[in-house]
Amino acid sequence: MTEPRAEIAKIQEGFAQSGYICNEHIATAIFLAQNLEKPILVEGPPGVGKTELAKATAEFLDLPLIRLQCYEGLDEAKALYEWKYGKQLLYTQVLKEKLGDLMEGANGLKESMDRLHDFDDTFFSEEFLEPRALLKSLWAEHGSVLLIDEIDKSDDEFEAFLLELLSEYQITVPELGTIKAKSSPIVFLTSNNTREIGDALKRRCLHLYIPFPDADLETKIITARVPEVEEGLRKQLVGFVQSLRELELKKVPAVSETIDWARTLILLHARELDTELVRNTLNVLLKFQDDIDNVDSELNALTTAAVAAAE
Amino acid sequence: MSQVLSNFVRALRAQDVRVSISESVDAGRVAELVGFSDRQVLKDSLSQVLAKTDEEKFAFNDCFDQFFAFEQFERSKAANDQESAENSQSTEDENADGQDSEEGESAPSDGNGQPGEAGSASDDGPSSGGTGSNGDPSGEQGAEAAADRDLAALLESGDAVELQGQLAAAGREVGADRIRLFTQRGLFTRRIMEAMGLDGLNATIDGEQRSSTPEGEARAERLRGMRDDFRLDVRDYVERQLELYTANAGRQLREEVLSKIKISNVDRRDFKLMQSLVRKMAKRLISLNSRRKKKSRRGQLDVRRTIRQNIEFDGLMFDIAWKRTKVDRPKVVAICDVSGSVAQYATFLLMFLYSLTEVLPKVRAFAFSNQMGEVTDLFAEEKIENAIKKALSLHGGGSTDYGRSFEDFESMALDDIDHRTTVLVLGDARSNFGDPRADILDKIHDRARRVIWLNPEGKSLWNTGDSEMRKLSPHCDKAVTCSSLNDLERVVSEILRTAV
Repeated sequence: MTEPRAEIAKIQEGFAQSGYICNEHIATAIFLAQNLEKPILVEGPPGVGKTELAKATAEFLDLPLIRLQCYEGLDEAKALYEWKYGKQLLYTQVLKEKLGDLMEGANGLKESMDRLHDFDDTFFSEEFLEPRALLKSLWAEHGSVLLIDEIDKSDDEFEAFLLELLSEYQITVPELGTIKAKSSPIVFLTSNNTREIGDALKRRCLHLYIPFPDADLETKIITARVPEVEEGLRKQLVGFVQSLRELELKKVPAVSETIDWARTLILLHARELDTELVRNTLNVLLKFQDDIDNVDSELNALTTAAVAAAE
Repeated sequence: MSQVLSNFVRALRAQDVRVSISESVDAGRVAELVGFSDRQVLKDSLSQVLAKTDEEKFAFNDCFDQFFAFEQFERSKAANDQESAENSQSTEDENADGQDSEEGESAPSDGNGQPGEAGSASDDGPSSGGTGSNGDPSGEQGAEAAADRDLAALLESGDAVELQGQLAAAGREVGADRIRLFTQRGLFTRRIMEAMGLDGLNATIDGEQRSSTPEGEARAERLRGMRDDFRLDVRDYVERQLELYTANAGRQLREEVLSKIKISNVDRRDFKLMQSLVRKMAKRLISLNSRRKKKSRRGQLDVRRTIRQNIEFDGLMFDIAWKRTKVDRPKVVAICDVSGSVAQYATFLLMFLYSLTEVLPKVRAFAFSNQMGEVTDLFAEEKIENAIKKALSLHGGGSTDYGRSFEDFESMALDDIDHRTTVLVLGDARSNFGDPRADILDKIHDRARRVIWLNPEGKSLWNTGDSEMRKLSPHCDKAVTCSSLNDLERVVSEILRTAV
């Protein structure tokens, strides 16, 4: 067995190459998911890179990423499979024509029925199955990364329906029986906690909580995602965002917003933060007018502090 | 699964972390996979398998640090630092099987380079352990002779790591993890000492004493000092075990009692605990009822869905879908009596009301004694302690006047009550012989979906003295006694469940 620590470091490095900077904790989750073949339930505030994690994993392992966005009213016809009704109808048409040949020389109803039974029945078969996201990931030849995004938005019926898939990597289609995964996919479920996820689901998953990154990690993320930002400005803007998160806001800025802001500053050819610049671009970070108004009075102090800290 | 892990799971459960059996099996697989040699990796991994909410993660971190704490190990580590590096390789195999983490943790810094010895200590465990735990030293004298010699030699060698390892092994032997009461500390300390060869040590000390040579006496003196120090170590160890496995047992018991006794009998000092209990209850109610229910409206055809659903029947409208409406959680208007007669309850009822505003999206809260005032905004802005204090000082203290208060309510909020509103009245209906204005309550009843009266007094006290339940209760859909947390939980969960 290889040393787990080394494996984990390798994962972390691989992620870094594809531009996803993460800490050891996250890399450990991927390592466990791979080795235990368990799905990961990723929770955390919006915009900390939960979805990105799945994308990075797909890229790192060189597997196809299959994404299923959950929403209210999502059902199995949209998530798992549907019959190709049109083709099935055509099939019966063709069958009708061929039926004459088949029945030729049959004596009585009983023999005709027997012949019909012997006839290869493909009406309900995989050929007429239109695979949706979940089935696609089970059918993937060399495994896949399955992202079930925002599971908390789906109905609880759907959550219950997922249980079989998550624990056994198989799915039951009533007409066909059980379909097993060709090779176990790596499953990510993400949740923003708009509602509590059921215990049964939680029990089957590894649970990874991604919090907002600390200043160090966030600086690294900005370096990786927006390399054009100079070091001085980078420290300043990260410091500023970190101090914003301390305040009582309706919606605190997430990592994705920090990245957006860094890009904005680049666009404006900013070299360092000043109060006026921050005020003009604050709407990139804060998405509620109330928040912007509340922060406005402290803007000067926050900016000076961030600039001073970056020295 | 190893003994250590199952002990750890038990310690976690004592900290209110819910760990199911399948999760502890997973923990076993994880431990097998990552081994016990890397603390951080082990911690990260186990936390993902065992702790599945924010609070649980928090409790997990504390518990992990406490459970896998080795202070003595830390102390000796500095001294043996260089050698430990060489040794870590040879002890790897031992750890990989995840047999026991105490050994695993201490072994890498085994300064004397004797990993075999650490192993043998744990090998001894099961064989002599059976008799050892019976506290029957005579029967195992022979078997333990080796260990006896060890303790004296071990103490003298000053090898803290080895000592710690043996201590943990002896702890397992005598079942220190089953300690329940703090009065058992002495007992377990002695048992562990005995399992580690206290008798032998004492014999050695006596022997040296009797030899009456100056060196012998000096050695006896030294050993005695070491023995006493060591006893303190063992005591520390036992106390840590006690804390680990029973940390929350007392609290859990108190919570259980608190949720059953009458609120008026709750001690002031228990209020903090009560608060957390109310909050917990509210949280449980949210998670049970956070799902939006749907209800089909018969009679209105959902054309789009019907066509979609019937493609498989060749477009024949065979399986018909009706339009559905989503059922939202109920609108609640809560009116809370905070007057002198229910002073005991008032704080608690407000506490509950406050938690309710966190559970339900649409709650309007009112408080009154002789005049009514709305406290919804107060609750939204302030933290629970301040909100309750302010509500009490603004509206509380006066003598009750139900009539006047209902009049106030009529002018303030009657228009807001519709067929989806549940009105909750918390009070004892003692109106100081004033007219309770049951007619207004009747008006409320006509408009509202439900009126529920929660009375802290037992039914036998209703209608005695100035209690006006007789006049008021006919205008309620339900009037029940609600004097303990359990009552309250029952009523509220019913409100939530039958929401329409």
